[in-house]
Amino acid sequence: MKKLINIASFILLGIYFATVLTEAQAISWYRIQEMFYFKSFHMYGLLGSAIATSALSLWIIKKFNIKSVNHNPIEVKDKPFQWKANLGGGIIFGLGWGLTGACSAPLFISLGINWKIGILLLIGALAGTYLYGILKDKLPH
Amino acid sequence: MKNEPLAWYIAGPLIGLIVPALLILKEKQFGISSSYRFLLSGFTKKLGYFNYNREQDAWQFYFAIGLVLTGLFYNWNGYDLNALKTTVGSVKFYAPTSGFYDLSNWAIFLFGGVLIGFGSRYSNGCTAGHCIMGMSQFSLTSFIATIGFFIGGLFATYFIIPYLF
Repeated sequence: MKKLINIASFILLGIYFATVLTEAQAISWYRIQEMFYFKSFHMYGLLGSAIATSALSLWIIKKFNIKSVNHNPIEVKDKPFQWKANLGGGIIFGLGWGLTGACSAPLFISLGINWKIGILLLIGALAGTYLYGILKDKLPH
Repeated sequence: MKNEPLAWYIAGPLIGLIVPALLILKEKQFGISSSYRFLLSGFTKKLGYFNYNREQDAWQFYFAIGLVLTGLFYNWNGYDLNALKTTVGSVKFYAPTSGFYDLSNWAIFLFGGVLIGFGSRYSNGCTAGHCIMGMSQFSLTSFIATIGFFIGGLFATYFIIPYLF
């Protein structure tokens, strides 16, 4: 039962996140194109205010030492610094984002909206992940 | 269906709130693309990268189920991705007027998906984990990754997309 509630809570958070993303049209190739053409402030406002809200939340959590609902201290870890991987992988991810208009969350949302398109994206993403698994040790990090 | 997007100054903060929500409710740092690794490790453990403690990423898979369910809900309500082609600026979309989301563009989606999967795993995060989570931590790692996202995105937009249609 506890496990079920745990799973359900993540699904609910996913539904919340996907609803906002879809209502804001951040899942749309058209909005992403406008962003990369610098022709619309919408996506920049969206990302900027999301980052600002998140940063402010993190500051409040730290400042007031806010605990989780399970009374544990909240730790925020940094991802390892691997500039070659961050930049190289970032550029490759960006190419995919620019081409398809989808990043990871919109990929899953489009799987629900239009499964034929979504399944192509997902199969591709899993193939790409597998390829990274093969090449990982040969790539600069 | 309405074509006006929810205003950024409402949607943006609502997006940002996912970070404290996940931390306070679930003690998790926001990210999504580790779900690819989680999914694959369910099928293969031959490669070292997939032979790991996959339970740590299981939650991202559950989160992704919520994303898919939301998409299904919009689908049932007749949501059409191609209906979003109205532009707020003066962008010339290269996709045919019938819409970008067409199976004739299958190669773009499939190959783009490969880039999304490979790139997000190589850079150790995507727009969620780097752009939103990492940037709000003022992490140099995520700043570099985000610059990469934009270099790739701009290149695709100016130098690839125009030649695909």
